[in-house]
Amino acid sequence: MNRQQQEAVLVGLARRLADSGSWTGETHLQKASYLMSKLRDVDFDFDFILYKYGPFSFALHDDLASMRADGFLDSVIQNPRYGARIVVTDRGRETEQRFAKTMQRYGPSLDWIAETLGGRGVMELERLATAMWMTAEHENASVRSRADELVRVKPHIGLKDAIASVEEIDGLRAAT
Amino acid sequence: MSKRVHEVRDAIHVFIAFDDDERRIIDSPAFQRLRHIHQLALTYKVYPGASHKRFEHCLGVMHLTGRVYDAITRSDKISDAVRESMPDRGQNDHGYWRTVVRMAALCHDLGHLPFSHAAEDELLPTGVDHERITWEIVHSAPMQHLFCAITPPVRADDVGKLAVGPRKAERLKLNVSFNAWEAILAEVIVGDAFGADRMDYLLRDSLHTGVQYGRFDHERLIGTLRVIPAPTREEQETDAAGIEPVLGVERGGLQAAEQLLLARYFMFGQVYHHPTRLAYNEHLKEFLKAWLPGSTFPTDVTGHLARDDHDVLAAIKRASDDPDAPGHEPARRIVTRNHFKSAYARRATAPDGPNDAAVVETAADVSALAAAAAKQFGPHLIAYGAPPSRKTPPDFAVLDYDGRSVPASGLSDVYRKLPESPDAFVLADAQIRDDVRRWIDKNRTCILEERDQTISQAEQEEQA
Repeated sequence: MNRQQQEAVLVGLARRLADSGSWTGETHLQKASYLMSKLRDVDFDFDFILYKYGPFSFALHDDLASMRADGFLDSVIQNPRYGARIVVTDRGRETEQRFAKTMQRYGPSLDWIAETLGGRGVMELERLATAMWMTAEHENASVRSRADELVRVKPHIGLKDAIASVEEIDGLRAAT
Repeated sequence: MSKRVHEVRDAIHVFIAFDDDERRIIDSPAFQRLRHIHQLALTYKVYPGASHKRFEHCLGVMHLTGRVYDAITRSDKISDAVRESMPDRGQNDHGYWRTVVRMAALCHDLGHLPFSHAAEDELLPTGVDHERITWEIVHSAPMQHLFCAITPPVRADDVGKLAVGPRKAERLKLNVSFNAWEAILAEVIVGDAFGADRMDYLLRDSLHTGVQYGRFDHERLIGTLRVIPAPTREEQETDAAGIEPVLGVERGGLQAAEQLLLARYFMFGQVYHHPTRLAYNEHLKEFLKAWLPGSTFPTDVTGHLARDDHDVLAAIKRASDDPDAPGHEPARRIVTRNHFKSAYARRATAPDGPNDAAVVETAADVSALAAAAAKQFGPHLIAYGAPPSRKTPPDFAVLDYDGRSVPASGLSDVYRKLPESPDAFVLADAQIRDDVRRWIDKNRTCILEERDQTISQAEQEEQA
């Protein structure tokens, strides 16, 4: 996937998440992109690091900034108390159309991720993405030990929630 | 025995104080080399005063980092919501991290190549940039020796992590993680919003270029910085949900933070994205590609420390006098100041008149126009000029009067309405600049349509 195709896929992701009821802030796009790359083999050109709110990519952060500067995406403040929502512009929709073949190829993965994550809040996405990180890092570890590791790096997440997230990741991996 | 305190005068901070341990780092060959690395590359060809070096910038970053650290760890500034993430004042941890964060600030630019960022693109092997070299220098035997001599000994990994920060740790695949406290300390140094690096370079570059509106009230800003819970990101998220702490600013410091945003905007438009500065970057890069063996800088610590701006300037001078020398043409352009000029700038504004269509070009559009112009007029007469990365102003956290954390984007009209600086140019030889401009204006639509067709064909072939 070259840079322009990747931009089209990100536009498609933002549009689908919003259509599925997601707040669609940057955190939502970050976690959805990470989970897509791990669960659906979407070859994004991003590295992720375990950082604030779990897996985070500065390269993706910069690309989203460039896409706003280029007019594919826009930020909307719906309520000054909360973070900005990212919306797709007309120019963004044009880019999706221009890369119709690419969108056709990644469409099923985008639909799947929007359906799976669209209704989730940021806290849940953080838990799920961090559970995926622990699973990728400790491939053969038990549910409990991955959950313990998750709680160690994210102490504000309770063990019960951590276990549920790791189990959900195992379920999603089995299904895909 | 208590440590001696040394002082040095500074153009921005008046006096910068440092202790014996810091002095040993400052006196090391790796740090002294920074006396010979221009902070703003060849910008002094545009702004004659901009001949300051990385050396004083790094001292300034250490100074500001220490001040921010002291401000955010003041016991009356730490709320219960974030107390657990921070070391207790009076405990050894507090002192250890103060030492580490100042050391990291001091060392954060050790890996810079000659002429700082200007020469970095394309002149290092894939996966290596100046932060990677900084990491290697911090872990080199002479530096480790200095860190070990400190009481208590300082871990090179801690210094390296904070010096490069999470952004570069990700890119360089350093396989390190940042807990909440380390993430805040890295933000104190290299953070996009209030990082000491950013504060010092804006103030220092503003002073030396003479661009007065690059200044801002950093005293007020530092005094109002706080570690606060991150703002809530969506309606469903509750305040009690265990949100991670971040470096933010009290509501009373919002105007100072806005002033920093404006300073950044002005400095980008006037200095960092100045088309002539970008043109010099291109000439310098072309020269270095021709002059360096294998077109790359050495990346080992010894080879890196052996090179500074003096070597490159001497080589440019020799090459400009010798038509047969590698890199003669770009060297001649640099020495005689016969640089490329802007023939076309990215359009990202409202239409000029009632009959104009709204034009919002992407950087990729301008790059395609530059490539087409190079084909038409000759590659040695045209270049694409753009900064290596494009960043929007970061949406920082503000501690509002009611004690809640809110995003700056929700509170600040300045943040929301800050325009963009032009950041992508077609650069051309001064003799043909007007011809290039006219040619692009005439053929722009055609060139971009052709580019789109090529992309579409390539996509179909790829799918097939």
